[in-house]
Amino acid sequence: MRQTRSWIAAAALAGATLTGAAVPAQAERELTLWSHWADHETKVAFVEKAARELESRHADVTVKITWYQKNPLYAALQSALRAGQGPDIFYLDPDRTEYIDNGLLLALDDLVNWANVFGWARSAWQHDGKTWGFPLEASTVEWYYNRGLLAQLGYEVGPPHFQLSQADFRALVEKATSEGITPIVQGVGDRPYPGAYVTHELLLKKLGKDDYGKLLSGGLSFKDPRVLEVFGYVEDLVKAGAYPKSFSTLKLGESHYYFHTKPGGVVFPIGSWYTSRAFNPPDKGGQPDDFPLGMMNGPAMDDGACNACKTNNVAGSFVVNAATAHPELAGEFLNILATPEYGNLWLSTVLVQTGIKADTSKITGPYSDYFKTLEAVNENAEYFFGTPLQFFKGKCRETFEQVMNTGFPAGLVDAGTATDMMNDGCFTG
Amino acid sequence: MTAITATSENGVRTSAFARLREALRGDDALTTAWGAVIVFVTPALLTYAAFTAYPVIRTFWNSVHIIRPGGRTEFVGLDHYVELFSNDDIFFRAVSNTLTWAGVAPLIDVGVGLLLALCLYAKVPFARVFRVAWFTPVLISYVVVAILWMWIYNYDWGVANMLLRSVGLQEWQQTWIGHPDTALWSLIFAHAWKWAGFNMVVCLAAIHALPREVLEAAELDNCGWFQKLIFIIVPMIRPTLVNLLILAFIGKMRVFDLVWIMTGGGPMWSTETVSTYVYKRAFEWNTFDLGYPSTVAAIWFIVVLCCVLGLTWLFRQRDRLEY
Repeated sequence: MRQTRSWIAAAALAGATLTGAAVPAQAERELTLWSHWADHETKVAFVEKAARELESRHADVTVKITWYQKNPLYAALQSALRAGQGPDIFYLDPDRTEYIDNGLLLALDDLVNWANVFGWARSAWQHDGKTWGFPLEASTVEWYYNRGLLAQLGYEVGPPHFQLSQADFRALVEKATSEGITPIVQGVGDRPYPGAYVTHELLLKKLGKDDYGKLLSGGLSFKDPRVLEVFGYVEDLVKAGAYPKSFSTLKLGESHYYFHTKPGGVVFPIGSWYTSRAFNPPDKGGQPDDFPLGMMNGPAMDDGACNACKTNNVAGSFVVNAATAHPELAGEFLNILATPEYGNLWLSTVLVQTGIKADTSKITGPYSDYFKTLEAVNENAEYFFGTPLQFFKGKCRETFEQVMNTGFPAGLVDAGTATDMMNDGCFTG
Repeated sequence: MTAITATSENGVRTSAFARLREALRGDDALTTAWGAVIVFVTPALLTYAAFTAYPVIRTFWNSVHIIRPGGRTEFVGLDHYVELFSNDDIFFRAVSNTLTWAGVAPLIDVGVGLLLALCLYAKVPFARVFRVAWFTPVLISYVVVAILWMWIYNYDWGVANMLLRSVGLQEWQQTWIGHPDTALWSLIFAHAWKWAGFNMVVCLAAIHALPREVLEAAELDNCGWFQKLIFIIVPMIRPTLVNLLILAFIGKMRVFDLVWIMTGGGPMWSTETVSTYVYKRAFEWNTFDLGYPSTVAAIWFIVVLCCVLGLTWLFRQRDRLEY
């Protein structure tokens, strides 16, 4: 009997020890997340809110978020994932398909409640029949403009198309230059894509969605007469002084300031995430409170196949590491985001479109007019999904960055040379 | 302090140093000293093997494979080498830029460093202040130097263009690091600004180490200041200058930080160096493959090694100076 009691006591002690050991092990559950947007306060607040909500649901869970700028984030991810390390969840743009090709991502089809995500946004992350990313941020390429300067130069845009003709836009550029005003604000000092906005949006309008898609996929030559015509038109704009002298070195943040504050410019083609910087207070790099912000569509090309076309792009997204030890937790975190409440919260605080289903009519406050204008400008739009960077890889991507993004709009190469170089890098016949 | 000891055959404990001394005296002792040699040399050898030899060997191994995450590799033989030499225009552009940089910049660095050292040796007014001021850029990190020079080169409000405007030369204004004609030279200038101070200090030390009697003898022979420089100082500090040139050359062949921060290799590959190209191929070309970048790195390792051996042979001291 005594021996039995001893065994029971020993078993109880062992059980208590094991239980005791198990509790701290659970308490140590940590979901790690690496994200871009270190300097985007509203996005940081949005993601942190979701993290705290997950923690409030599970007392034993901690969500550890590390904030980066985009380039250092990608460098860190490349090293960590190669070594079989890396966070449970991380930020990724849909053009980074090499993460899918190398089996580094977990398919999210069964983890996320896709009913609350727009189909077009989900499709940006669908490859081989699976969905690999959660499309948090979405944007259209918009042509923001300074209403005061445009009126001063004698131009006006309005419904239904909100766009100038090809000839009028060139005349606008020439007139602005003659008056010492920068016509198109753009800088490529720290980004591989803004310098190509004008060219690729005009190519889309000229070629239409199908042929433009072929061009980006290597199936249409850059020596196609319609492509040459667009490059020739953009070359004319460049020669007319369309871009700032500091175009090659002007950084993205600086180009915002250049456009809305000093020295100012007429048009600023950029993703509709313009607002995430410009709608900050002026002392944090935002536009002045009384800045007369307008929105237009890119100029209608003569004989354009689709002058209502514009690029719609899923940008900042979250993906789950294939090697994560906490796939359910990661899925739960994403499902916290995948709700109309969070969709509306994103819209009303970050002021950028999102892949989460949200209702822009519910947005009130000082920026509600902005969203009404955005809706009006996009009312008749036909979207092409994806930017060139989402299609280009390797040498083609490098050529795009150096030629279409920098050299050509900076006037360093002419249209003929630029199309030759793009063909050499991208055209597969 | 704890001495490393061992017990000899006759039971007397001797220090490792003593055993090493014994070892150097005769063959038998030498055999027994290997233990001590191994103890002293192994840590350094292991460190060298792990952090120098292995990465070099691994780079060569990678260069004949496609390397993917998760340890997945595929042997491709010399395919990467064939691709590199037959179909990679950007690589040759990077080689051209790097060789230009490595050929020109060491001469600027060492030349300016020597001139600054001579200024200090000649005891110009405020020499102490200048010595600190000229050496300070060496202490600044590349990131800060890059940002500083990006400001200086800024088209709209940079000091370079403001100076030109202030003296009525506004037509000479440039997008210094935004145009292929000026970008590489602008970077070389910024790099030379950072390193001239280092060369100055080394040259100054070498000049101060020269035997005074030789210089005084030259003065007694009515040797002028310039002649003294050309015929006495420079020849006598030649080994120092050669070492500085070779060090600078090696540094320039690997230049990365300043380029990456200021231009990223652009515009139009005009500042692309081999190092930035390797980095781009490894991390920015939307591929996880480390094989091809390793090929570029392996080729460049051989090129740098050959250049250094060649330069050392070329600048070797044929006649030993005696003084």
